[in-house]
Amino acid sequence: MNIDHHESFQHMIDESLAGSISAEREQSLREHLDTCVPCQEYLSASNRVIAGLGDFSFEVDPTLNARVFASLRLPAQQVQAAQPGRRRWALISVAAVILTMGGSFVDLQFGDLIASIFDIQRMQVRQGLLAFWIVPSLCVLLLFPLLPLLSKAGTHREERIL
Amino acid sequence: MESARQQIALGLRQGDVVVLDALVEQYQYRLVRYLIYLLGRRDGVDDLVQETWLRVLERGSSYDGQSRFEPWLFRVARNIALDAMRKRPMFSLDSNDDRGVRPSPASNEPSPFPLAARTEDADRLARSLQTLESVYREALVLRFQEDLSLQEISVVVGAPVSTVASRIYRGLATLRPQFGGEQHEH
Repeated sequence: MNIDHHESFQHMIDESLAGSISAEREQSLREHLDTCVPCQEYLSASNRVIAGLGDFSFEVDPTLNARVFASLRLPAQQVQAAQPGRRRWALISVAAVILTMGGSFVDLQFGDLIASIFDIQRMQVRQGLLAFWIVPSLCVLLLFPLLPLLSKAGTHREERIL
Repeated sequence: MESARQQIALGLRQGDVVVLDALVEQYQYRLVRYLIYLLGRRDGVDDLVQETWLRVLERGSSYDGQSRFEPWLFRVARNIALDAMRKRPMFSLDSNDDRGVRPSPASNEPSPFPLAARTEDADRLARSLQTLESVYREALVLRFQEDLSLQEISVVVGAPVSTVASRIYRGLATLRPQFGGEQHEH
């Protein structure tokens, strides 16, 4: 068996250890390893390296966790304090729903009455309610479902610069 | 598993100290180990660990809970370490290299690896690890200690999967002669 042949299988051993080998090549490698002593030694040495890497135990300062916990407290409170902003948006959207429904209700129930009081046409009342009440409320209402999407886009942008 | 990741993502978004404390407890040693392998030194690692957790809190909303937490955490730690190298010459690592980081030059500080070796085999590896380039040490610790896939390591180090694989092969090739393994170049 020539050196190139062994090198080819030893490269496959490296691929296998790195987790980048195909099932077919893995099978071929297993069969080769059954009979090839140099490649068995190569695998054994590789496995000893990997096992040896697990035999290091670094000392960690016992106060490190406490220091980390302490340093996180204040920033965590600031993050938590930023949370009500979302709740505020939720309240605004609920208000927008009520306003939209309220505007439509006023138009349907009191449109004629308003038109007669101000001596204007019914259509003008409807247009006024639409322009200054219903459409603005609807816009706020429609904006709310878009917030998570906008937030997600912001998150992706943040991840790119992380 | 999926829900655990989602809980982490939610906890980070909300700045939940219970979730944060649990993450610190769970990952602290692994973070320290990763940074030691990356930098090849023990000095200054604790400061980087603290900065990493602060960054985790600040940028927690960018963890989506879809993928494993570890690669995201190590990527944050790596960026903190690279920033520190640029700002503080004490780390003395050249991060302008396209592979990310290079080994630190000789310093008076003792190597962290012989001190941490707990077996004879680890002791044999310790000297080679200190002279091994950072990118190879990093690839080895992420693959064989953290059990990250090549794709996950690729995300951490910001390099193609083929480059990551090549670093693992080279790292192994450098250390293998300690145990009589035949060495060859890919």
